[in-house]
Amino acid sequence: MKLNLLAIAIAASPTVLGAQDLVTRNRVGLPDAPNTLTFRLTAYDLYSTDQDTKAAFEELFSEFIEARPDWKIETQLQTGNIGQEQARLLQQVRAGRGPDCAMIDSSQLAVFKNAGVLQPMNAVFSEEEVADLFPYVRDAITDEGGNVLAWWWFTDLRVLYRDTSVVPDAPQTWDEVQVAAEAAVEEGKEGILFNGGRWEGTAFDWLANYWAQGGTLVDENGAPVFAEGENRQKFLDAVAYYQRLVEAGAAPQRVTSITDYDAFNAAAAAGTAAMFVGGNWQYGQLRNTLPEEDFADWAVSELPGPTADQRATGTGGWSIAALSDDPEKAELCGEIVKEIYAGPGNAYQGLLPTSEAIYERYDAYDGPEFELFAEALQNGVARPGAEIYPEISNQIQILIGDVLSGSASPEEALEAAASAVQAAYERQ
Amino acid sequence: MTATSERAPGQVHPAPWLVPAVLVLAAFYAVPVFDVARLAFSDASLVDPATEVSTAAFRAVLSNPALPGVVATTLLFVVVNVVALQILGLAIALLIARGERRELPGMAAFRTLVLAAWVVPGIANGLIWQILFDEAPYGTLNSILGGLGLGPVAWLSDPQMALVSAVIANLWQGTAFSMIVLYAARRGIDPTLYEVAALDGAGPWRTFRAITLPLLRRAIAVNTVLVSVQTLNTFDSILALTGGGPGRATEVLALFTFNTVFYNLDLAAGCVLALLLFALGMAFTLLIGWLNRGASET
Repeated sequence: MKLNLLAIAIAASPTVLGAQDLVTRNRVGLPDAPNTLTFRLTAYDLYSTDQDTKAAFEELFSEFIEARPDWKIETQLQTGNIGQEQARLLQQVRAGRGPDCAMIDSSQLAVFKNAGVLQPMNAVFSEEEVADLFPYVRDAITDEGGNVLAWWWFTDLRVLYRDTSVVPDAPQTWDEVQVAAEAAVEEGKEGILFNGGRWEGTAFDWLANYWAQGGTLVDENGAPVFAEGENRQKFLDAVAYYQRLVEAGAAPQRVTSITDYDAFNAAAAAGTAAMFVGGNWQYGQLRNTLPEEDFADWAVSELPGPTADQRATGTGGWSIAALSDDPEKAELCGEIVKEIYAGPGNAYQGLLPTSEAIYERYDAYDGPEFELFAEALQNGVARPGAEIYPEISNQIQILIGDVLSGSASPEEALEAAASAVQAAYERQ
Repeated sequence: MTATSERAPGQVHPAPWLVPAVLVLAAFYAVPVFDVARLAFSDASLVDPATEVSTAAFRAVLSNPALPGVVATTLLFVVVNVVALQILGLAIALLIARGERRELPGMAAFRTLVLAAWVVPGIANGLIWQILFDEAPYGTLNSILGGLGLGPVAWLSDPQMALVSAVIANLWQGTAFSMIVLYAARRGIDPTLYEVAALDGAGPWRTFRAITLPLLRRAIAVNTVLVSVQTLNTFDSILALTGGGPGRATEVLALFTFNTVFYNLDLAAGCVLALLLFALGMAFTLLIGWLNRGASET
């Protein structure tokens, strides 16, 4: 039987007063509790600016800590600057000044894993629970010995949004995208929008076009190989796809300045864009932003590929990992993920769970869009678990900007990117 | 009464009075600079501490093919900003001084309005201008230009224009500082000189060239040094405005340093770049000091 969020909220309501006492700005639990776990988290749940989300997580944390009266959780907030925050976190952990438990962005998980700072949480998660994870998630959170080094508690993916009043049928291939976008331009719309500025979203969204052809960024040793052998042509073909869209006017030149998914929501709200490459979470945002009749025109579909049967989508999300070598703390960290985030926390926020079982357990995932998301996740590709990935991403962002603004040819830009990545790799 | 207390103020040895300031400067400025220099000669990363003394980071940074372009962008950004900041700051300072002399109402409010931009954090400045420069069909500036039958302008998507946009954003924020330095200097000029000039029948341009500009020369030199260093270190507003793009079109040295440390996790190379930034700042300061070597005698 599926759990209804409303029922959870009603059942939890008598404890609201208690929740306020137990949850403060930097602590969960009673101040004189003998044991302390430090937990570094993002500002999107327990300390969310959205009061409803905040209240829901306060309830979940309160129930959690009431069942463990000997413990208190000292909370530390991360800012939204992911790269800087995660680098600082790793530096602190290596210096022995890190928190006991922390949220780690999925793109950084490999760096932490390779640094050997993640402590197993095997006592909390059964083999069946690990087996139920999506394959790319399972691979990312376990080591060769099968130890659970983190728990990736929600994922996300990129999809193609389209205004069906302008583009009735979902384009399946790159060529179909261009044809549909050019037709939309003739109707006075911006054909297709995507991230093209200097930020992680640009590289991550574009990589789906490379991965769809079977391209790989690094080899099994973590060395960059995207400019070598067959990968080279796949890479150039994926760049050429974006280049054609801009040169044909199917995508506006301004894509090279887009560094935020919110730009697509704004364009959808203004009714100026026919299609955009966005994240799954934007579906709910559009539903809440657009008038009902306008929202009804918007649909999502899998990202098109070079051919209809070559598809991929980048998958991201956040994990939680134990950084303390105290087994009790590692276990408590795992229990926070299991009882608060991976399940009720997913469902409340509508975030995509990383295991099939959770989709089945909650009403929140009954919408038709989740069927599409679950289907697209079958072609999900996570960013490579290599220390060099952030620099590869940086160089792809530069490359896309240079090519789309006409500053360099794809070949020249690829040479420069490959050279820069190789130099950075040799310094690691 | 001791012998020391009988000395005139100019004869007292200054060392005891300077010690606290020297200690504070050493603790908060010299030590970090020496630490950056130490790390630059190491193999330190954000993940691993330094294990050896090495010049590899210097070789890697100086052989990076992107470096000349980044330095060129930085120099262009700094020079254009410094010149424009002086002109705009001086223009506003003289406008306010003239308005106050004529007792026009609203001068204090105008001064406050200009200063308001200065207190805006760099990141917020970048975000504000990102909204204004938005090239979407509903973008603020392009909509205004469209209403006048002009544009649209590729404010952020064209590599050359993106650098111009970054300069505009920096000028909006930095002009207030120049204005306040030059305004203070202008207020320090003896009004009698202007009265004499008026009696002699000197026009505004002649008065400006013969009195205002020569007497502001020292303030302009100081201001040039300060805004050069400030502009050289600018990265937060550019990070928020363009992220350094498109491509590397707006990637200045400070942002390049940030990316080296936080994308590559390469602390040693980041420290080399920080030293380069320090050297450039010092070179600017010495150059400006040399160009204005006569100002102190003025």
